[in-house]
Amino acid sequence: MLVPIFSLKLNHKVSPRTVAIGRFDGVHPSLTCGTTAGKVLIHSPHVRAQAQPAGGATSMGDLSDINLLNINQQVVSIATGRLTDGSEKDTLVVGTATNVMAYDVDNNTDIFYRDAPDGANAIVVGRLGSIESPVAIVGGNCSIQGFDQKGEETYWTVTGDNVCSLELVDFNGNGQNELIVGSEDFDIRVFKEDEIMAEMTETEAITALCRMQDSRFGYALANGTVGVYDRSTRYWRIKSKNQAISIHGYDLDSDGVEELITGWSNGKIDARSDRTGEVIFKDNFSQAVAGIVQGDYRMDAGSTVEQLICVSVDGEVRGYNPAPPGLAGNLMDTNLEQDTIRELSQRKQNLMLELKNYEENAKANTQLQTTLSVNPGDNSKPPHVELYISTTNDTVIRAVLIFAEGIFDGESHVVHPSPSALSGTLRVPVVPPKDVPVDLHIKALIGHKGSTQFHVFELTRQLPRFSMYSLITEPGIPEPRSSVTMTLNERPQRLLMWINQSFLLNEDITGELDVDVSFLSLRGSGPLVIRMTQTGQLTIMTDDMDLAGDIIQALAEFLNLEDLLTTADFPVEIETLKQILIKVDEYHRVRQKLTAEMADHSNLIRSMVVRAEDARLMGDMRSMRKGYMELFDLNRDLINGYTIRCNNHQELLSCLKQVNQIIQRAGRLRVGRYKTQVVNACRTAIKNNNTSSLYKIIHTGMA
Amino acid sequence: MMQLDLSRVDYLQVGITSQGSMRLLPISGKLQKVAVADTDGMLQVFGMKKGEVQNVFKAPAPQKITRLVLGGAAGAQKDRIFVSTGSEVRGYTKKGKNFLNFNTNMSEPIQSMFVEGPELFACGNFVYNHYHDCKDTHYMLCGDRINDVLCLPPERTQELIPVLACQDRVLRVLQESELLYEVEVPGPPTCLQLSENTGGEEGNEVLYGTSDGRVGVVQIGKLAPTHRWEMPNEKRSGGILCMDNFDITSDGVLDLILGRDDGQVEVYSFDEADEPVLRFSHSCSESITSVQAGIVSTPGYEEIVCSTYAGWVFGLTSEQQTKEMGPSEVKVDPMAVTKINSLKSELDNLQQKVSTEREKYQQSAYSKTAVSAIPLFNINDKFVLNREDASYTLSLELQMPIDNVLLQSDVPVDLLDVEKNSAVVSFSACNPEDGNYLLATYRCQANTTRLELKIRSIEGQHGTLQVYITPRLQPKTCQLRCYPIKPLSLHQRTHAFDEDRPLNTLKLKGQFSLAEMHSWVCFSLPEVPERPPAGDVASFQKGEGIFRSDNISTISILKDILSKEATNKKIRLDITYDIKEESIPHTLALIHPRLEYQLLLAKKVQLIDGLKELQVNENDLTFLSPEYQQILEDADKLQAEFKRQPCHLERLYGMITDLYIDKYKFKGQNVRGKVPTLLEVLDNYDFNSLVQFFETSA
Repeated sequence: MLVPIFSLKLNHKVSPRTVAIGRFDGVHPSLTCGTTAGKVLIHSPHVRAQAQPAGGATSMGDLSDINLLNINQQVVSIATGRLTDGSEKDTLVVGTATNVMAYDVDNNTDIFYRDAPDGANAIVVGRLGSIESPVAIVGGNCSIQGFDQKGEETYWTVTGDNVCSLELVDFNGNGQNELIVGSEDFDIRVFKEDEIMAEMTETEAITALCRMQDSRFGYALANGTVGVYDRSTRYWRIKSKNQAISIHGYDLDSDGVEELITGWSNGKIDARSDRTGEVIFKDNFSQAVAGIVQGDYRMDAGSTVEQLICVSVDGEVRGYNPAPPGLAGNLMDTNLEQDTIRELSQRKQNLMLELKNYEENAKANTQLQTTLSVNPGDNSKPPHVELYISTTNDTVIRAVLIFAEGIFDGESHVVHPSPSALSGTLRVPVVPPKDVPVDLHIKALIGHKGSTQFHVFELTRQLPRFSMYSLITEPGIPEPRSSVTMTLNERPQRLLMWINQSFLLNEDITGELDVDVSFLSLRGSGPLVIRMTQTGQLTIMTDDMDLAGDIIQALAEFLNLEDLLTTADFPVEIETLKQILIKVDEYHRVRQKLTAEMADHSNLIRSMVVRAEDARLMGDMRSMRKGYMELFDLNRDLINGYTIRCNNHQELLSCLKQVNQIIQRAGRLRVGRYKTQVVNACRTAIKNNNTSSLYKIIHTGMA
Repeated sequence: MMQLDLSRVDYLQVGITSQGSMRLLPISGKLQKVAVADTDGMLQVFGMKKGEVQNVFKAPAPQKITRLVLGGAAGAQKDRIFVSTGSEVRGYTKKGKNFLNFNTNMSEPIQSMFVEGPELFACGNFVYNHYHDCKDTHYMLCGDRINDVLCLPPERTQELIPVLACQDRVLRVLQESELLYEVEVPGPPTCLQLSENTGGEEGNEVLYGTSDGRVGVVQIGKLAPTHRWEMPNEKRSGGILCMDNFDITSDGVLDLILGRDDGQVEVYSFDEADEPVLRFSHSCSESITSVQAGIVSTPGYEEIVCSTYAGWVFGLTSEQQTKEMGPSEVKVDPMAVTKINSLKSELDNLQQKVSTEREKYQQSAYSKTAVSAIPLFNINDKFVLNREDASYTLSLELQMPIDNVLLQSDVPVDLLDVEKNSAVVSFSACNPEDGNYLLATYRCQANTTRLELKIRSIEGQHGTLQVYITPRLQPKTCQLRCYPIKPLSLHQRTHAFDEDRPLNTLKLKGQFSLAEMHSWVCFSLPEVPERPPAGDVASFQKGEGIFRSDNISTISILKDILSKEATNKKIRLDITYDIKEESIPHTLALIHPRLEYQLLLAKKVQLIDGLKELQVNENDLTFLSPEYQQILEDADKLQAEFKRQPCHLERLYGMITDLYIDKYKFKGQNVRGKVPTLLEVLDNYDFNSLVQFFETSA
């Protein structure tokens, strides 16, 4: 049985997902956690002798090895790492909702302090690709920024939605790190510097990522799923009703392979084999886990073993050493033979029961038929994809359970008709919110009316990627104003093949010559027209830039295209962008004005406090009261000003997010290096405030 | 105190076992043998030899075996095995000789029995029969279901005193065919056991375990009972299914061993003050149907033998299971290896058989001549009210792993999170027009045979909770279970009714029979047996019924339900009610301490974070008021308590609002518009102003 090698209490609350460890003096490791009320706690048990907190750091009386840094803003993310080239010292990087600061703990100095208008939801420090110096990479609102040791921006890119998690992994085994980004739009994207190498779609926001051995990495989702990827293949995943707060790769059983250590919201910690997901060790905290790190926290002479350190939200810390080889992977104090016997007997029992079940069970002459079709909807019902289920005889469908990820509120959807409306057929409306292919696992409970026992028919149907589009056969629909055009080196038949696969059609579309197919979006974003001539000229007409991007990306994957340059014409989108940029300018101006006002006010306050206090010392109570009344009024003004600033900031954030999203969409209209090119060119244009070239880039894909 | 270290060893698996159907035979030689009977009707006696199961005998019975008890001639060893199957009792010697086949001719199948020398006590669901040398001597019909029966040792009490554990929260003590007296216990008792196996010092102490997880000892005196001690169920563990007394801690005092329906096996020892102290607990995720301690597998090592619902018989032994040769090597047990290998080859054979059957089955689905059939699988289910947090616990247990459970309700109910349950819950959007107020699926993790859910109902709204259970077994089938949610779902049966409270009365008159009246009561209140009992909270006779309660809301709900039911049956009812004004302050006063406590708790919890922040920044906290210092000190306790009962305050608010609306409903006024004002009064809570509000506003 593996037991903690040390445990201690920090006596501070620790915010979840803000735990890191660093050797700030280059030698001694210190545990660093974000606590409530905008503080960062640094626990350095080994530097007690020379610890001299000063300036911004205040020392605790009772726990001398704990230092607190006042950030005065809610700490969102924390990272440590060697940011300074050639130095052994780790730098602490702290992200708040509006700023990023890098801090030299040993010398108690700021290294840099930068505004991060997009927020800093996640930070990772390390080397990325062939960028020369180490970078602190900050993920915010759709954007990812990299800062070097001077605080210069050396890296920038955009992603589809708010970034929730970042990690550096050598994804392709070339000796250089790639950046893995998890975002709120359920996608894990792998960036080789600016270029997207891979994109994996998950079923919820990706809350945590962790590096494991070689090209493997672990991930955790907001719905309680954890799993392991090797490059873009998923080894395994499991789902729990609790949420995974922190994950970490650590070789706990000393077999030379790192396990995935997960800290859960209910205080559980488990270690799972990277290959199978089998639990090899577990332990319990009384409170939710806040973070898991590893480091040589004991600093035993002659030993360089790094412990696994787990921190709970109420500040309890436990460290585990890797298991001694004698335990032979048996960390849970179990009796292997007894367990095997039990498992085998259980299996035997299940098989026996199944055999017995066959003796008595028969579902004579009942089959289940399912069809998927597009229902354009009517007055009473919005448009939807319809799943039609029917039995082949007089049995009735009591209920239908559909398990599918990402398209329902939970993981399942249940249809349970009222007893009077029972019949042998059932129509289930399905509205996939996004254009992703989904497997519907259908379980239908079939039996006779009034019976209490039912056969369960299980089958799986795949919903194609673009199922929310209905085919338009009659001509005369208004053509969308926006379009993307490109030239492909393919026959139109290949495009038809792709259309037949990706759209929900009653029968396959065939044709020899030019392709001209029109669809109507059921989500209300208007018609979609796809045209292709014999010469390979492909035009996709839709007002929905996202949809055009989705189609181009899916098509490129189907046709195995590495690079694709397109010409995009989205007048509406460009117009919106113009409006947004104007707004952004406005908000910036308001912000500056407010900041100036605030500075004025604070000067005023200072003098007023001095005056009022003077009056108090002089015993002039009337003036003092008057002074403080004025101060009170001013204070109220300040608070009002602050609310305005906050609102202004919120607006600004949402505008910037939209700008980032438009850039991302423009990128998605291209493939491969052209995509990277668009994103980078757009960034440069925005930096230089060159809006006209921005529109040109979005249009042509080139600066 | 010495650490009790017991490790699990599996012996064998039989069919589903019912409560109390495994016993250890008295020691002969060095080891004891195990007798176990299952619902497939098989009685098995086996012993262990070098880790291998050695069968002594097997005896089939025509029907499922519901109980297994040991008996013997008066004064001699209890080494004869008695099993009840249907209305028959069979007796076997320890060698397997069938010496008794006795048909009791009881009208119900036997559910529980007890053997003491020549006396046999057998109970069906409601009838109790006593046979002396297989001759019917005494008989009684009980008001509610009988869960267990026991007889005090006659050699110590000089007469035969049987005790019945009845579902309506009483132990009934009998004298021949007559009821001597009733002992009220805190929950529905599910099992009985003689205290210290012999009945204590005077031989008249009885241990009881309840379905809500409490244990207690009652001394059955000649005239009146005395409660010796009672152990509450603070951790909200499962109900007690079986108990045993055995000194497994070797401290000279018998320990108490409990088996619960949530799979917990617990050992309590008694300290100097005779208070039970938890010494060991093992969790096995299946209901424990019987426990008994003894020496079964290795001489000299005591162990607790348990049987589970799904039929596992296992031991929790004090013998070390892993024999270590040194720090780095673990000795492989050759017995275990052969066992594993033989199991593996068995599995291969079975797998092949299953594959051929699977094909056959697939073909049958297309045949036009075959008849559709679904085998019935057994579900061990329980739907009980928890008094502490006013919620229902639904527990489902199967012999095989559960794949998923679908919950459907036609009334609004809340599903609460249960710590123990690891299934992934998903709520589906539902449309009340289709009669669905709740649609939720529970997808279970592999090898989950037992699932526990918590449901909170709303008083006054009645309907049905339907549960579809699909086991993970090919071919997949599913079973439906229905649980009624009654209009007065959060009421509990009581036997002591306080007549001094100011009571509101609801009187019914009309052309209805006693049975009809009872069916209405049964429809609206939980814990009422299906047959009319002699007395009740509400008293009624043919053509007249009286309901009394100090809570106006209860009366109001009853009035609505009864008039609706009567209209359905086309019976004319004259409803008169007598509302006592003073009952309202009385009810409010009953709520008052709870409400005040909850409000205070909420306030304190709100303060904790701020105070903690101060604590971090200030070295010296003495400037804080003692009240705040106290809050800081108890912070963890307060937060834990607050977390345990998340909606308590809301529920109290709801009760008071209902009370307010109902009060004026009886006066014929609709005061729904005034509710916001009431909530305002509640937010600035003060008892007197609330009473004032109830009296004046309308």
